[in-house]
Amino acid sequence: MSNIVVFGGDSHPDLVHKICDNLDIKPSEVHLGKFSNGETSISINESVREKDVYVIQSGCGQVNDAFMQLLILISACKSASASRVTAVMPYFCYSRQPDIPYTAKGAPVIHRPQQDGNGTKLTTRRPGADSSFKSLNSAIRSTINLENPQPDRGIAPPDLTSSKSLSRIPMIPGSKLQNSHTNGDAEDLFNAQNAGYKLWVVQAGTLIANLLTEAGADHVITMDLHDRQYPGFFDIPVDNLYCKPLAQNYIQHNIPNYQDAVIVSPDAGGAKRATAIADALELSFALIHKERRSQLLKGPPDATLTSGGTLPVSDRPLVSQPTNSVIRLSSSSSSISSITSTESRFVQTTMLVGDVRNKVCIVVDDLVDTSYTICRAARLLKEQGATKVYALITHGLFSGDALERISSSEIDQLIVSNTVPQQETVKHLGSDRVDIIDVSRVFGESIRRIHNGESISMLFEHGY
Amino acid sequence: MNGDSEEMTSNNIKLLAGNSHPELAELISKRLSIPLSKVGVYQYSNKETSVTIGESIRDEDVYIIQTGFGEQEINDFLMELLILIHACKTASARRITAIVPNFPYARQDKKDKSRAPITAKLVANLLQTAGCENVVTMDLHASQIQGFFRIPVNNLYAEPSVLHYIRTKTDLDNAILVSPDAGGAKRVAYLADKLDLNFALIHKERQKANEVSKMVLVGDVTNKTCLIVDDMADTCGTLVKACDTLLEHGAKEVIAIVTHGIFSGSAKEKLKNSKLARIVCTNTVPVELDLPIIDQIDISPTLAEAIRRLHNGESISYLFTHAPSE
Repeated sequence: MSNIVVFGGDSHPDLVHKICDNLDIKPSEVHLGKFSNGETSISINESVREKDVYVIQSGCGQVNDAFMQLLILISACKSASASRVTAVMPYFCYSRQPDIPYTAKGAPVIHRPQQDGNGTKLTTRRPGADSSFKSLNSAIRSTINLENPQPDRGIAPPDLTSSKSLSRIPMIPGSKLQNSHTNGDAEDLFNAQNAGYKLWVVQAGTLIANLLTEAGADHVITMDLHDRQYPGFFDIPVDNLYCKPLAQNYIQHNIPNYQDAVIVSPDAGGAKRATAIADALELSFALIHKERRSQLLKGPPDATLTSGGTLPVSDRPLVSQPTNSVIRLSSSSSSISSITSTESRFVQTTMLVGDVRNKVCIVVDDLVDTSYTICRAARLLKEQGATKVYALITHGLFSGDALERISSSEIDQLIVSNTVPQQETVKHLGSDRVDIIDVSRVFGESIRRIHNGESISMLFEHGY
Repeated sequence: MNGDSEEMTSNNIKLLAGNSHPELAELISKRLSIPLSKVGVYQYSNKETSVTIGESIRDEDVYIIQTGFGEQEINDFLMELLILIHACKTASARRITAIVPNFPYARQDKKDKSRAPITAKLVANLLQTAGCENVVTMDLHASQIQGFFRIPVNNLYAEPSVLHYIRTKTDLDNAILVSPDAGGAKRVAYLADKLDLNFALIHKERQKANEVSKMVLVGDVTNKTCLIVDDMADTCGTLVKACDTLLEHGAKEVIAIVTHGIFSGSAKEKLKNSKLARIVCTNTVPVELDLPIIDQIDISPTLAEAIRRLHNGESISYLFTHAPSE
């Protein structure tokens, strides 16, 4: 392979080497580091003039650092006269765009200063605390304190509302990260108080696409993008590879009696992805549906626990009792209690559609981050009589305390691809419980084909 | 804003702040008597940045305050800024101005060796791509960085505030200004003219980034109070060596005055063990060092006044030579 240069960022060196092994080339020499003030520093030690450059960087770990490093690498190659620069992002950061602060996908919002344990380096910085502004600061602080209980950095100095109960966006109920005053639902509370304006969360997808293009990327290769519309955000070609052929291959070769297994989608959003695998392998399919209903609209809790729907369903109760949780919206604030007291109860219902009794279940999802959804799904499946639960995941981010949760969950076998480093996962769960699907061959082959100007559509169907 | 017709088209200042420097944002907000807008900038547990907007900014004049600093978080803060700008753009703001007192990556402004990235140019492009229409910054490391943008850049100077500080807080009778390197000579010469003081220059031979080897002093500093003036103090290697050089040449005491007090890496140790009588910096970045010799100049009045003038379409150039009164 002539004229090709492959650089790896520092997010996933292992995958870079594997991809390069598959291409039978060596990763090109690049020095990656940081200046003492924290700015990313790179230096490229090989000529890239008129070369076809591939920069491999997964969006994991310190995401923003990794992304900036990718942008700087692309920009450096481009300004060093590379003929074409392709960004290879096995996991595409910011690809999931939650549209509500309280996301049904289960990504709890955390605040930097309050993260204990592993996040020590992000803990409270006290800028200016020792300066001559000290007295001034405390004066300002005390005035803020009247309306904002914690005017600290990360609590977002301009607070979301002026209500005491609302200094932060709540997390998933039951989260260990949860703090005492977080059991409200910021969105509902906020919208109740600000009738004219709805709280919204910025969707960064277009921005990320534009930033990559602006840095000089001519082409993007990624895998299992969460939104299928995502490539439309770009003005450059995006090759979205699929993990599906590899997943099918795994099921066929590693799951005994897979013909009797059931493919399960842990939420409605992933149904299409899961049915595709079920169809290809001619397996039956089940769906877990999670909904939150306002009790006021739906009546008392028991009334909401009906199955409903015309889909073929099992004769067993469709709702698992332990996953019902009645969430009471912040009772800590007296000022808003009048608004919320009558309509503040929500019922979270998890339903299983399909029969899994005495079956082996394979839960398929593209992205597992906090693992709430998939662990909840596994528990529900076991309660409904599943004999064994496999979790088949493309991007295993496992942020926060996800690994602990999985380790104590009903998931018997975790199968995850190496688009994101999985050393920690293996260490935590033991190599018996985790199987890694290697995606480096698919990425290597796609790079080879793109470099040679061949079609890559064969990779979508058959893998490599 | 009298009358209905004007209210319909009212176009107000909206102040937004990221997480990099809440104190500065508060000071600016207080100075302008405009509360900070309700936005939430958070980090998901997977380390992605999430921005929540809690009030309408449609057709408003938006100013986003975010400085570039943080040994761990500088890229997080940059992404916060980009996402905030993008958010305002998608929320139909009339004009978006980024207030970046310390411009990140300002020192990576040239291709000093083969294939070196010009990251300052990249950052300029990223800001514009996100939707920024105006930039306010302070004491850019190289004023040519303004040329990296296709949008207006207002490069403010800390010099008026520094002058005010020198006049009020130091003994001018026996003072001399010192530039720690040839690059800063112009800045120091300007201050020396204004204060009617002499100035000396230290020439350094730099072999590697963040490392200084040899220093040569030009000028007489015997029994004088030396005021070293520079645009930034990062690892403080230069400052400490310059201080030692000056004291070796008979200086009475050495005071350092810098705009951006980044103080990264081993700066704290170096400053603790140094013979500097005082080190003065502005609050373009938060200072986290707990050292008695550190003193700060508040430049928030300058930034606040710049915002007011930009909003009203008045000239900024007054601020190049005058510091708004406290």
